[in-house]
Amino acid sequence: MDLLWLRVAAILYAAASIAVFPAVLYNRIRWRKSCIHLAGLAFFFHFVSCVEMLVQAHRWMPVGVREVESLLGFAVAAVFLLLWWLYDAIALGIFILPITFFAVFVPALAPERYTFPSAGVRISWLVAHIAALLAAYVALGFSLLASVLYLLQERRIKSKFASAPGEDSWWLPFDWLPPLDTLERIAHATLEFGFPCMTVGLVIGSVLAQEVGGAAYFFDPKVILSFLLWAVYVALLFVRRSAGLRGRRAAYLSGAVFLVMLVVLVANAFSHVHRYGPQ
Amino acid sequence: MSLVLIGVNHKTAPIALRERIAISRDDLPETTRSLAAVPGVAECMIVSTCNRVELLVVVNPADAPASNAELTVFLHRHFGLDPALLAPHLYTHQDREAVRHLFRVAASLDSMVIGEPQILGQVKEAFAVARASGTVGGQLEHLLQSAFASAKKVRTETEIGSNSVSIASVAVDLAQKIFGSLQGRTVFLVGAGKMSELAARHLVQQGAGAILVTNRTLDRARRMAEAFQGKTIPFEQLYETASQADIVISSTGAPHPIFRTEHGQAFLHRRRNRPMFFIDIAVPRDVDPAMGKLEGIFVYDIDDLQQVAASHLSERSRSAIDAEALIAAEVERFHQRQLAVNVAPAIVALQNQAEEIRQAELKRLQARMASLTADQIAAVDALTRGLVNKLLHPPMQALKQAARENDAVRLDALCETWSLPATANPENGKVEIPQVNENTQAGRP
Repeated sequence: MDLLWLRVAAILYAAASIAVFPAVLYNRIRWRKSCIHLAGLAFFFHFVSCVEMLVQAHRWMPVGVREVESLLGFAVAAVFLLLWWLYDAIALGIFILPITFFAVFVPALAPERYTFPSAGVRISWLVAHIAALLAAYVALGFSLLASVLYLLQERRIKSKFASAPGEDSWWLPFDWLPPLDTLERIAHATLEFGFPCMTVGLVIGSVLAQEVGGAAYFFDPKVILSFLLWAVYVALLFVRRSAGLRGRRAAYLSGAVFLVMLVVLVANAFSHVHRYGPQ
Repeated sequence: MSLVLIGVNHKTAPIALRERIAISRDDLPETTRSLAAVPGVAECMIVSTCNRVELLVVVNPADAPASNAELTVFLHRHFGLDPALLAPHLYTHQDREAVRHLFRVAASLDSMVIGEPQILGQVKEAFAVARASGTVGGQLEHLLQSAFASAKKVRTETEIGSNSVSIASVAVDLAQKIFGSLQGRTVFLVGAGKMSELAARHLVQQGAGAILVTNRTLDRARRMAEAFQGKTIPFEQLYETASQADIVISSTGAPHPIFRTEHGQAFLHRRRNRPMFFIDIAVPRDVDPAMGKLEGIFVYDIDDLQQVAASHLSERSRSAIDAEALIAAEVERFHQRQLAVNVAPAIVALQNQAEEIRQAELKRLQARMASLTADQIAAVDALTRGLVNKLLHPPMQALKQAARENDAVRLDALCETWSLPATANPENGKVEIPQVNENTQAGRP
């Protein structure tokens, strides 16, 4: 039964993770309430699952990566709810709830490791994983491009369309550049589009990765870097929205995320669970 | 009399200097009267806009060199400027060149944005102030009326104004480069001047949303706000309101910047870093240039707008060439008219002499014409008048021709032949410009 409660908790954590974004980024009261209720329910079922799991095993010591991951997720969720209760710090949920979900997700799939019923199903999920992540990378690339063009256009406008004495003016003829506001919107919209794509890609990727390493899939450098990329992505969205970050600094931050993305791509060379096929 | 024009403009002096010598509308009458008190100045007016401060003065030709020096001293003293600071930026035009310069200014050919319509109104206003101050005589009256007529001609006969790249339209272009669509953008007019009004009109035409207006004189702000169906803001709420605006057009007469870096930081904080565009068309400037260094704040002053406008000039060069040709012709026409005016006393004297002779001859024959009827006497009168006019035509044409060609020797010879008063100015060899009414010009029946 503990697996059932854990699956219920995983679904509720996923729902809370979705609800936390409009709650924090757009300050929607209804989503805020939903998020906390969902997280609270998830925590309750997670608690039941953990207790049942340990009672059935007649020990209070977790054994194996699966049990440790589940308890780690439980501890993280507990601290989050405590901080929310003490400080009303729901904004932390934007990082904590998805981390909790990822910690619970793989242990909730199966007692040991989940295997796909057939090669066809596995390939379908693989295609979805690749498509989602490619879309995220393309969105991130567009966001970076728009940010670079923003910097260029901003420099043109700030310079009053003339170069200072002794200064390069190679950027002056770029009269075709879109307005700053348009570039800012493109950069932001592509980021917002890329985020769910990256999240879905990571979730599917986790399922695929655990086939190889079970619940310990997490320790693969590629997976760790992918989650780091996701966290930086969330940070970028969060900072842009909460601090009203735009313009030059937002462009630099987009550049940083893109850099992490390149590192994640390079990390394939060191991964046990993620390899490109020979071509 | 000789015409002298001395001043600085956007081409010769940076805004940092121009804002130090800008004369406010309130101070203009007093400054004009002070200028009139300078030794040697017969008539004068001052054109003071955000782009230029020019003194236009009529002096006695004999005093012209001394007057130029006096005018320069006047500028230094009046504005408390070091002569070494101002001298490199000053230009001086005399007589024909001064006329040409004034015509070009009025026709907006010397403007920061060629073809912009505001300058003619500003010159007219400066002239009205001088007239009200009692510093305008026949010379400037004639000159300025001609300048206004030429400017009108340039505007109607060339394309210079039809596709006018005014400061306002440049400002709109820039706003669109920052904000894209202006739909729903809030515009805040600080100072209710004509330039602000024009800029706001352009922005509204492009879809700008709410218009907020503030001014130290609330009535003026209210009038302008009504024109745009906008909202009047008390001047005390300047800083609270500014952060609501995407575009701020500032044109107050404040002697120091009213928007500084600390204000910019506060605006950005309140706006969560949403960008702001400051269009500073005031001289002295209303916006501290350092504020433009803040990320998200874009500041364009009057010189910056000129720079952008310059990029549009090539598109209108053909119109500008046409307008320049027209101005050259108008200056020549003015000059010819002036010369014709010069010989007016000689021609009038010639006509008077002939008329006296005709009247004397008619009087002498009065007894012998006693038997004639009234109709017959009228016929004789008309006959003699016709004869006199026909006989006078060649010498009058010769006088006018000599005046047009500025041929003092021939003029003297003609005057001597016909025992007429001399017209040439012995000091400079130029034809003197006497104060005569245009209606007494030669050749009028």
